[in-house]
Amino acid sequence: MISPEELVGEEWAAWYRLSPVERWRESERLWQIYFHLGGSLDTQPDTQSPFFDPREPSARPADGRSGMRVLRRSRV
Amino acid sequence: MGGPACVFYGAAEFSRNTDLALLASSENFSRLNKTLSDLDAHVIAVPPFEPRYLRKGHAVHFRCQHAEARGMRVDVMTKMRGVDSFPKLWSRRTTVSVHDSTIELMSLPDLVQAKKTQRDKDWPMVRRLVEVNYFANRENPTPEQLHFWLLELRTPELLIELVLERGGLPPNLVRKRPLLALAQASDESLLSDALLEEEKRERAADRQYWIPLKKELENLGHARVPQLNR
Repeated sequence: MISPEELVGEEWAAWYRLSPVERWRESERLWQIYFHLGGSLDTQPDTQSPFFDPREPSARPADGRSGMRVLRRSRV
Repeated sequence: MGGPACVFYGAAEFSRNTDLALLASSENFSRLNKTLSDLDAHVIAVPPFEPRYLRKGHAVHFRCQHAEARGMRVDVMTKMRGVDSFPKLWSRRTTVSVHDSTIELMSLPDLVQAKKTQRDKDWPMVRRLVEVNYFANRENPTPEQLHFWLLELRTPELLIELVLERGGLPPNLVRKRPLLALAQASDESLLSDALLEEEKRERAADRQYWIPLKKELENLGHARVPQLNR
């Protein structure tokens, strides 16, 4: 029998092996980290969606700045 | 029914919007209106929040302004391409209890149908959703699971394994999904090609389905522009 590791690698296989409730909890934990890092609920435009409307306004933070900023980057 | 359901069933999706499938009844619309009002949610694009647009197959898009959900997008639908009617979806739903709240998720087979869209990102999701269910249940499957895997698995290696393990295929399923014959012949290369063709046909059908709806959205959008400029 083919193992999940053979098919999708260790990382995905570990996710596959969780129960639905464990996956839900793990997702909640990721959400907390995401918000802690300043992530917002504003969705990225999905240009392939039939619902995509380029005129649609996007939500902006009250201070007008992105919650996550790049503090250091290479020249590449 | 979208991102959270994908997490639950195993194909992770870090989705920031919430998709709601709703029975198009006036009672439900008033309940939804009350909830959207609690979230301080407002329609952000065409079409407007009117039952007739939902019944045609459009989605209505909202953005929440409540402090605890600021910026969150909510998409409401009552009809989706290739997906059964709401009463059938409701009868097959999965109910989850989270922090003393009850969440009703679309069943896995229905979610897979809903994900067969024209978008690139939905297809790896479909594949993973079925893989996870297969790996979790292949030791002791129900007839319904076997039927689901034979019709929906998108992983050539697993389709071949499944068909060999079961020692044959019901002829009615081969008629429904001819590429199963390639799984029976253990031809992984041709099976991969056939799966890709199957995906292309679904994506084309989805684009076709949306042509009149997009046209209607464009007309609604043009009609809205003068109002916005006033």
